[in-house]
Amino acid sequence: MSFVPGIAVPIGGIEKELGRLWEESGDDKTRASLINLAVYNEKEGSLQTNSAIVQGIAGEHAMRAILIEADPEAEGSSADSWINMHCYPRGSKGGAVCSEQISFRLGGLAARSLQSVVFSHLDSDLPLALWWQADFRTPVDGKLWRWVDRLLFDSRHWKDPAAQFAIVSEIAALPEARTVLCDLNWARGLPVRQALAGLFDSPSALPEIRRIRSLEITHAPGFRTTALLLAGWLADRLGWKLEKSGNSFLDPSGAPVALVLRESPGASIARLHVVSEGASFEVRRDPDSEQYVTSASGKAIPSSGRMVRAPREETREILLAELARGGRHPLYAKAIISLRDLW
Amino acid sequence: MSSPSVNPLREGIANRLAPEPCTLVIFGATGDLTHRKLIPALYNLAAEGALPPSVSIIGFARREKTSEQFRTELEEAARKFSRTPLDEELWKSFASSVHYHRSPFDDAEGYRTLAAEMDRLDKERGTAGNRLYYLAVAPDQFPVILDHLKASGLNRAAEGSWARVIVEKPFGKDLKTARALNGLVNEVFEERDTYRIDHYLGKETAQNIMVMRFANSIFESLWDSGHVSHVQITAAEPLGVEGRAGYYDTSGAMRDMVQNHLLQLLTLTAMEPPTSLGADAVRDEKVKVLRSLRPLRGDDVFRHVVRAQYAPGLINGQPVPGYREADGVPKDSVTETYVALQVNIDNWRWAGVPFFIRTAKRMPKGGTEIAVTFKSVPRVLFNSTGEGLDENVLVIRIQPDEGVSLRMSAKLPGSSLRIEPVKMDFHYGTSFGKATPEAYERLLLDAMAGDATLFARRDEVEEAWTFVDGIEEEWKTRKDDLAFYEAGSWGPAEAAELAARHGVTWRRL
Repeated sequence: MSFVPGIAVPIGGIEKELGRLWEESGDDKTRASLINLAVYNEKEGSLQTNSAIVQGIAGEHAMRAILIEADPEAEGSSADSWINMHCYPRGSKGGAVCSEQISFRLGGLAARSLQSVVFSHLDSDLPLALWWQADFRTPVDGKLWRWVDRLLFDSRHWKDPAAQFAIVSEIAALPEARTVLCDLNWARGLPVRQALAGLFDSPSALPEIRRIRSLEITHAPGFRTTALLLAGWLADRLGWKLEKSGNSFLDPSGAPVALVLRESPGASIARLHVVSEGASFEVRRDPDSEQYVTSASGKAIPSSGRMVRAPREETREILLAELARGGRHPLYAKAIISLRDLW
Repeated sequence: MSSPSVNPLREGIANRLAPEPCTLVIFGATGDLTHRKLIPALYNLAAEGALPPSVSIIGFARREKTSEQFRTELEEAARKFSRTPLDEELWKSFASSVHYHRSPFDDAEGYRTLAAEMDRLDKERGTAGNRLYYLAVAPDQFPVILDHLKASGLNRAAEGSWARVIVEKPFGKDLKTARALNGLVNEVFEERDTYRIDHYLGKETAQNIMVMRFANSIFESLWDSGHVSHVQITAAEPLGVEGRAGYYDTSGAMRDMVQNHLLQLLTLTAMEPPTSLGADAVRDEKVKVLRSLRPLRGDDVFRHVVRAQYAPGLINGQPVPGYREADGVPKDSVTETYVALQVNIDNWRWAGVPFFIRTAKRMPKGGTEIAVTFKSVPRVLFNSTGEGLDENVLVIRIQPDEGVSLRMSAKLPGSSLRIEPVKMDFHYGTSFGKATPEAYERLLLDAMAGDATLFARRDEVEEAWTFVDGIEEEWKTRKDDLAFYEAGSWGPAEAAELAARHGVTWRRL
């Protein structure tokens, strides 16, 4: 039996039926919403997967969720819709806080007319975060994208990262667009970036940042782009230029910095190892560990290190972290550009 | 190649100044504050990677114990008081940077060996001589600690490093002692290196007052005497004096709450927009509010201020004794456990707008809030009869259940015209499910980053004392104004009369 994401309702009656659902739900439930989160996917069964994700995050980030399972290649035009609520107990008085979910299964023309179907059901005046779980296509549809405040995607799944990044850059540059690009793959690397940055806070370690000679990143299968984003971030921050071979950079003094990417089962980024002329810096996450271990050692610096909490690697956790963080990501595009030839 | 002076990898990691590596020395390391607040806050910061890995913590106290014993005690405390569950491995990693230094506060040798220990840690952990001293001790210990820090040269940082001090309230018990204390601190540390902690300012909602006022045009354009009828700032708690009688009976609600927390909330509510978010720009504007407070002198004190003490009563249905029956409280104590004030801010924006401030123990319910009541609409149209049309009230709830609500009027459904108040309510906990960080986490990071915005500056503290001293001096001249209220009630009748003279009723929380 196929998954049913709530109460089936006609598209034209969604708001009315949501109102009825609230009326019937009792006085102890409070509707809350910080954003509209629209999730677009073209794979069959995605409504079930995404319903589970929304259910998992609604307790910490109240929203109106709009889930779309689309088949734009289908013939004709079809549209089905469902409504649902995700409620969580809140406070000691026994009340619950609820987020609304509207789900669509669209085919053919309806799937190709997203803005008319979806945007008529947004909670007004709240930002729209659109999580695009499919490949981006050209030509870019300005009518769709210019309403999007935050465009979420995961470059880890891109088969042609260079082409896909060109399209999202075009979306972000649309006239009147205010879209912030939010790559979950960039968010995935934040704890590692934070841990590595912390190792150079020490005044004795800081000079070594200009004397780095090698960078080695161990990543899990399927996370090469996560590793590349980390390397791109370091390259941008430290002024390294990628050499044609793709195996090394040149730092601003012209000295080479070797780049090694290793693939190994384990955490998405299991190890980031930076060796400078006078020291060695490591961020490591052992298999199944919930911590990153950071360490620095060498003749030039005192040994230091610490264990810090590593977030779970589920999509839910990364999405929550991204939604909670907000703001723009100015270094993201720079990180991409600095490793453009390796994508 | 020249060495960078700032860590280029820090940009974009967090939207705040980065904390710098340092050695944090906590004087009074075996005390309640260290166990309940400081160590749990530092543990959570370390676990989240917000604390620079090379930060070292030295607990300085008189009791005999080893570092290992100290860590064990702190682990128990962190397990009990941390806002996140204690993780064994993360704790071990954090605890490895915690050390105990036993010494009496008045022993010069103890500071000499402290210096040697810090030098050793500097070399071992690369903290480059940055020092942060936290005086988590009673104020009578400040002089001896500060004198020894100065005598041993620990107040002076090496070139390119810093030495800062965090001072816990109370910042004196009157203007004279505050000035003496500030003078003492500033003889040892520059004002720019002095961080006076008022944990209310580290609370998310206190920080949100400025965001709400200056990031929303609808509020700020109505935030003046042309639109605001009056403002009430309340801090109530159901607890009694508990185990603090020794301190509390010499302090009272005015010194314990009004001089610091409530006047800080008043300044955030009434201040002009600062020229920037820099520490001094914000604090300049707050000081201007304190300087604009109309001084209360002579009989004005008794017209504008009500002091009271709780008598036996019921809290949550349980009988509780009166204040004078509490252990350690003299039977004839006239210390106030309740204060209600009506103050005026004599500046362009607030001329003629009464501000009401109230704080009390043994109230039926606890809570801290700022309520801004707007003027009524003209008495024509809907309210020609004056029925059912309440003023708009904007409430900023500081704790608990942090949030903002706005009361407004709406028509009751039906063919007749009946108007009732409705409330739009925003709860932090409802919209943002995650627990917010403890105030001490934010404030400790700020001190390590050199951001003093959320700390009280010397002139703020002294201006607040100038205002409060005027009231305290008059109180000393008589005792017969002390009112009494039943524990579990909303305060004495005298306070209700004070508000009623302005056509105001105290809010119930």
